[in-house]
Amino acid sequence: MKSSKDNVIGGEIAKALTEATGLLRRPQRVFPLVQKLVSDKVRVTFEQRHLYSYSTTKRPSGDVLNSLLRWILDAQRPNGGIPAYYSLLTGYSESYPEVTGYIVPTLYDFARAAGDDGAVVAAERATRWLLSLQMSTGAFPAGLRGESTGDEAVPSVFNTGQILQGLVRAHTETNRPEILQAAIAAGNWLIEMQQANGSWSGPAAYQNAPHTYYSMVGWALAELSERAADCHHEYSQNYGLAAEKNLDWVLAHFQPGGWVDGINLRGHPNYLHFIAYVLQGVLECGILRRRSDAIDAVAKSSWVLLRKFEAIKFLPGAFDTDFKNGERFTCLTGNAQMSCVWLRLYEVTDDLRYLNAALKMNEMLKQLIPQRARRGIVGGVSGSSPIWGRYQPLRYISWGCKFFADALLLEQRLTRSFEASVFEALPCAS
Amino acid sequence: MRIVVLCSSVYSETACAMAVQMAKLGHIPVGALTLPTLDRGTLLRKLGQWGARDVVHYARTKLIPQSGDGRAHANNLHLQPLLNREEGMFRSLREVASFYGFPVAVCNDQNAPGSIAQLREWSPDLIIFTGGNILRKQLLEVPRLGVLNAHLGLLPEVRGMSSPEWSLLKHIPVGVTIHYVDAGIDTGPVLRRSEFTDAARCESLSDLRNRLIAFGIEKVAEVVDGLNRGTISATPQSALDEDRQCFVMHEWLQARAAERLTTRRPAVVAETANG
Repeated sequence: MKSSKDNVIGGEIAKALTEATGLLRRPQRVFPLVQKLVSDKVRVTFEQRHLYSYSTTKRPSGDVLNSLLRWILDAQRPNGGIPAYYSLLTGYSESYPEVTGYIVPTLYDFARAAGDDGAVVAAERATRWLLSLQMSTGAFPAGLRGESTGDEAVPSVFNTGQILQGLVRAHTETNRPEILQAAIAAGNWLIEMQQANGSWSGPAAYQNAPHTYYSMVGWALAELSERAADCHHEYSQNYGLAAEKNLDWVLAHFQPGGWVDGINLRGHPNYLHFIAYVLQGVLECGILRRRSDAIDAVAKSSWVLLRKFEAIKFLPGAFDTDFKNGERFTCLTGNAQMSCVWLRLYEVTDDLRYLNAALKMNEMLKQLIPQRARRGIVGGVSGSSPIWGRYQPLRYISWGCKFFADALLLEQRLTRSFEASVFEALPCAS
Repeated sequence: MRIVVLCSSVYSETACAMAVQMAKLGHIPVGALTLPTLDRGTLLRKLGQWGARDVVHYARTKLIPQSGDGRAHANNLHLQPLLNREEGMFRSLREVASFYGFPVAVCNDQNAPGSIAQLREWSPDLIIFTGGNILRKQLLEVPRLGVLNAHLGLLPEVRGMSSPEWSLLKHIPVGVTIHYVDAGIDTGPVLRRSEFTDAARCESLSDLRNRLIAFGIEKVAEVVDGLNRGTISATPQSALDEDRQCFVMHEWLQARAAERLTTRRPAVVAETANG
């Protein structure tokens, strides 16, 4: 009988072979692939990061935000689903329900900030597609959905949680009852699947194991609790309690030095993306549930990462326990998520050093977004920098665009409110 | 008092002014240890910090004789009085050293064994740090009294980089702290904390920074004098329950700090007039 490690390795090899044959099917992809490999090699060789690397603005945030959203809108399929990635080898992937779900709030935020009705239409199409995928239990399926994936659907806790975020926001924006019903069904299923200790494990959890980054699911339940408070009071309390139960379980994994145990992904290193997931989920859930212990714990871990960023001018793509042995590649999505975490911590604590670090992080990321390239690449966020790094190599990933867009939207909102508060604080001239 | 000056370049105006100030006090330095001016790392850092235009301007003022009134001008005009001499102005630490008669040694790393050996040979009572590397334990143990630093912020409230700007943004008084350097970033025992009351007269952040540098040299002189007379002692920094280190400030926040500098100006001027 094969061990789970063998299965993981076998799966990785099959994936690599499929990717590699993509070039044989579409040889015209060779040019952009070589171009990107060469440009990243040149950048890695000559780039000099120093104290002042990202302290000045070289590209306006608004322009980059527009290009990120153009990437997402261009990628959206006619049925409303958004692909997981654009591969330099195989092109666009099939639609990814999980990402389509949690891109919905980003689309609405962008529509509001930029007055872009196209983003609202995209969010509504995405929501319709998601509703069509919901299983009778209330769960949403794991993995990609498309012509080659067949009809078999395996319920997934994490994906249901991420999609729940989108449903809650879609209901906030549209007030359509069927969306709230779908959200409540998803929330009830999540509560049903939750273990007594607050974690999620078993067949609906990735690799059947509990993971601290499922704090994102807790956050979604906390959001649903707020949303359902008016019309479904009895459910609302349950969602809030389930969210806090998970919060307590995750908080027990925070170490005194800021490290978070329990990411627990067999066959993968501790990618920054997952560390940042833990922190985002705990922070947002902590804010919604007014749990200062959660905010303090996230602040401590985030400060460790902030100091690393300020010292080496990027955040490594993966770490060993206790943030040791940071790998040399950068996981851009994880960096964008940390920018979101720092911006939210600034909002909560008023500590300007978080805002400062996030502004510099955003400058770093802006410099890595392709400005002139073909569809699928232009405005996209690569999995890793350089492109051959371990996290999602040779791919531009939709959730990278989502998190970086979130970071830039937060940056715009908080810098505007900072300016407004300074203006209000000035003594009246008369 | 045997004093050594550490600096990041022989063209550092701060180092030149500091050496002149010490000499005028009667403590001609026994040596100066500097990093090379055309060091790749320093050049890149300055390019990042100032931008290409200012770096070229700086190089031009240092390397090409000034025209106009025939007298050279310091980039930091507030150091001009210290840098002036009968025949023009001290343009480099080598000129100061040859005028007062002390050696200047160039090294690639102030913590390197060769640099430590050179410092030990000079046997200093005090080292004054005006720029260079992050100093390691071995170097810190060389001088009899310690290594002095003039930090452009009030400690322990504002540690680290961009201190004047952070002081403005955090509504902390702008000032200078003279302290011994230890293994941390601006965490060593404090000899003097001096609030800078002229901040409202500053026209820009760079003007504020330049004035603070001159103010810091003045305060270092007072501290050296106090140490020489035995009238001053260091106080360990209060233990704070949070990490107060600040980092290089993004230009958007710098612009907000600059606004605070200009918006406080009329109020202070009015106060002075009323007073």
